[in-house]
Amino acid sequence: MKNSVQRKMLGFLVVFCSLILSLSGCAKDEEADTAAAVSEKKATLAFPWSPTSLDPHGNDSWEVMRSGTAETLVKLNEELEVTPWLAKEWTQENDKTWVFKLEENVRFHNGKTMDAASVKESLMRSLEKDTKVKDLLQVESMEVLSENELKIVTKQPNAALAAHLADPSTIIADVATIEEKNSYPALTGVFKFKQFTKDEDLIVERYEDYWGTQALLSEVTIKFIPDGNTRLMALQSGDVDAATDIPIDNISLLKKNETFDVLTAPSLRTHLLLFNMNSPLFKELNLRQVIDRSIPREDIILSIMMGQGTEAKSPFPEILPFGKGEREETKGSVEQLMEQSGWKKNPDAIWEKEGKAFEITLLTFPQRPELTVMAEAIQSELLAKGMKVNIRQVENIDEALINDEWDLSMYSMLTAHTGDPQYFLNIFYRSDSEANISHYASSHLDDMIDELNRTVDSTKRNQLALQIQEVINQDLPQSFIVHPKTVFGVRNNVKEFTPHPIEYYYIHSQIDVTK
Amino acid sequence: MILFCLKRMVQLILVIFLVSTLTFLLLRLAPGDPAYILLTAHDVPVSEDALTALQKELGLSESLGSQYIQWIKGVVTWQFGASYVSKEPVIEELLRRVPATLELAMSGLAVAVIITLIIGISTAIYANGWLDMTGRLMALLGSSIPSFWLGFLLIYFFSVQNGWLPSMGRGTLQHLILPATTLGLGMGTIYARLLRTSMLEMLNQPFIKAAKARGLSNRRILVFHVFKHAFLPVMTLLGTSFASMLGGSIIVESIFSWPGLGKYIVESINMRDYPVIQGYVIFTSFLFVSIHIVVDMIYALLDPRLRVH
Repeated sequence: MKNSVQRKMLGFLVVFCSLILSLSGCAKDEEADTAAAVSEKKATLAFPWSPTSLDPHGNDSWEVMRSGTAETLVKLNEELEVTPWLAKEWTQENDKTWVFKLEENVRFHNGKTMDAASVKESLMRSLEKDTKVKDLLQVESMEVLSENELKIVTKQPNAALAAHLADPSTIIADVATIEEKNSYPALTGVFKFKQFTKDEDLIVERYEDYWGTQALLSEVTIKFIPDGNTRLMALQSGDVDAATDIPIDNISLLKKNETFDVLTAPSLRTHLLLFNMNSPLFKELNLRQVIDRSIPREDIILSIMMGQGTEAKSPFPEILPFGKGEREETKGSVEQLMEQSGWKKNPDAIWEKEGKAFEITLLTFPQRPELTVMAEAIQSELLAKGMKVNIRQVENIDEALINDEWDLSMYSMLTAHTGDPQYFLNIFYRSDSEANISHYASSHLDDMIDELNRTVDSTKRNQLALQIQEVINQDLPQSFIVHPKTVFGVRNNVKEFTPHPIEYYYIHSQIDVTK
Repeated sequence: MILFCLKRMVQLILVIFLVSTLTFLLLRLAPGDPAYILLTAHDVPVSEDALTALQKELGLSESLGSQYIQWIKGVVTWQFGASYVSKEPVIEELLRRVPATLELAMSGLAVAVIITLIIGISTAIYANGWLDMTGRLMALLGSSIPSFWLGFLLIYFFSVQNGWLPSMGRGTLQHLILPATTLGLGMGTIYARLLRTSMLEMLNQPFIKAAKARGLSNRRILVFHVFKHAFLPVMTLLGTSFASMLGGSIIVESIFSWPGLGKYIVESINMRDYPVIQGYVIFTSFLFVSIHIVVDMIYALLDPRLRVH
């Protein structure tokens, strides 16, 4: 009797379980049918970033640009030179006056023709929505000269104006459509918005009336997957065709599998070590040089960056026309430099001066974990050379740099996101800039930056930028460690998903998928 | 009874007031300036002017006192402000993500209940046999495997290796299986142990013997007498777990890129989106306190003695 009850109970459980399993089977069949009905080519990509809205101006401008739906007046090519895009040519009439000639036959995604008036309106909105744009463009006034000509007057000479118009915060949009609740913003890109599901995905479709070369894909789905491991697994399982920003530890895993290609692109990012030039020790150039030459750059690239980076010799990567290729070797060994500054080794083999041992604080932060590992590598290298380093991890590095006492700090920056050095140099190095966190002040350098702001000729600008970097490398307010590479995982049926050093140009018209 | 309800309502308001004040202060004490984080999201440096302008726009340049008064005024009138990041009302931002979290919580609970029932009942029936041993082992594993690891393990096996189920996202029933299992598995195996113990205890109760003496069938006894009583304590625990799942399961949602409250709140904390974090804390504390009040009221209805005390 008891046995039969048990058997029935177990029987019930088995039936229940199989019912659930069969339900999941049904869903799969339906999906297969719909996929077969559509013949046009589509691709699915995984990005870590997720826009909160599709407003092209403001916080989400980079994400909108990354979706292939948006365009700016100018574009940066792979050599990071400024090339025409929505503006076909431009001239500088004097120090502060520029005239941009716009491409004709450009239509916004709602069919409206783009003209100088709509471009002006769009730029005005950028200036109003994003406080950073004011610093980039420094616009005094804008004037519509004709249907396709726009005059821009800047407050002070801004030779980088054209390059800065490549910044995604200046995307050209039909302003009237942005605030509309029931439709998506009308931009000018090769794809247009089809469906946006916050936190989940953005589907863009080919814009048939595009003014340039039509897109090969009919549709691209961008999935927002912030977690690096999840992104990788989505790629491995075939849920997506390509994924950006693959965690470097996992590259070898992808390389083993023949269905994937691992692509890398040089980035415009620099990992660096800041010196606090107000700290008693690092006021002295000799000591900054000692630290600079003790950084084990090769080991860092090989074992921490897994080879995915290039040695940094200046704030700007070598891929830029003004990126500096050579580091100046300082004369004298670490020992000689220390002795010159009056330091002596104590019995514990630690440098000492006036009875005080050499001991410094190095700040690091958790948001970029590789920087903390680098800090540890630097710490052990310096200890071997007789210098004690205390690493302190802070939650908010930018606040700690202003409020705390520190000697050294790990840091990471995009130094020329528009392919031009001017913005970064003004903000990061001018002695009157609040964002000059190393407290580096050089009137000579200030003058050179001023000259750069005025110089229009690109060869001269590059030369000037190189000279500025020479001064920086002599004065050494920071030590530059590595320019990391961006890593992509791509299924090998995806064609032309070429990683661009500018991280907002990933989707373009030539991406294709083969069977 | 009305007095009792009123008292509880006052308590609810008091708790929410205290929680919101505490959150407000703690958030301001934590390092990180929302304006700075927003402006440097792409690691491009910004000028002081740009920073001050945004701080002013977000109302961060006002004194702490006036910011607090603004916030409390808002809470009283049910206005929680707008997110710094998306500029949309906090209420809308939170409510938009509730369905996804609810879906995951309910299916996670369903998985937990199914596992509890299957393993709990079968191990009780075959107490001390091999099935029981397996159940014990599973409970041990279920309580000790961290959910992020279990999640990745399931993705690896079911998506990467075999391609049976999608690895992330929300949409079809298939999308739900892995996250729901990750969420419910640990809980289910533990509660199964509880159900087993509780059922075995019941079997020795005098009323079961009495039922047997009355000649009731074993099946009737198991279902209507033993199980009915043994499931009550498990039910209470499942209810509490469900309440905490409603706040969003941060780890599971992050691993599976599930667009719910948990994933959103992690992103908001990273961006120091004060209005959203404050709104979320109020939302979850309201949820918790009101669930407890409802339970209290039901108890009070059932047991007149409680109304007096």
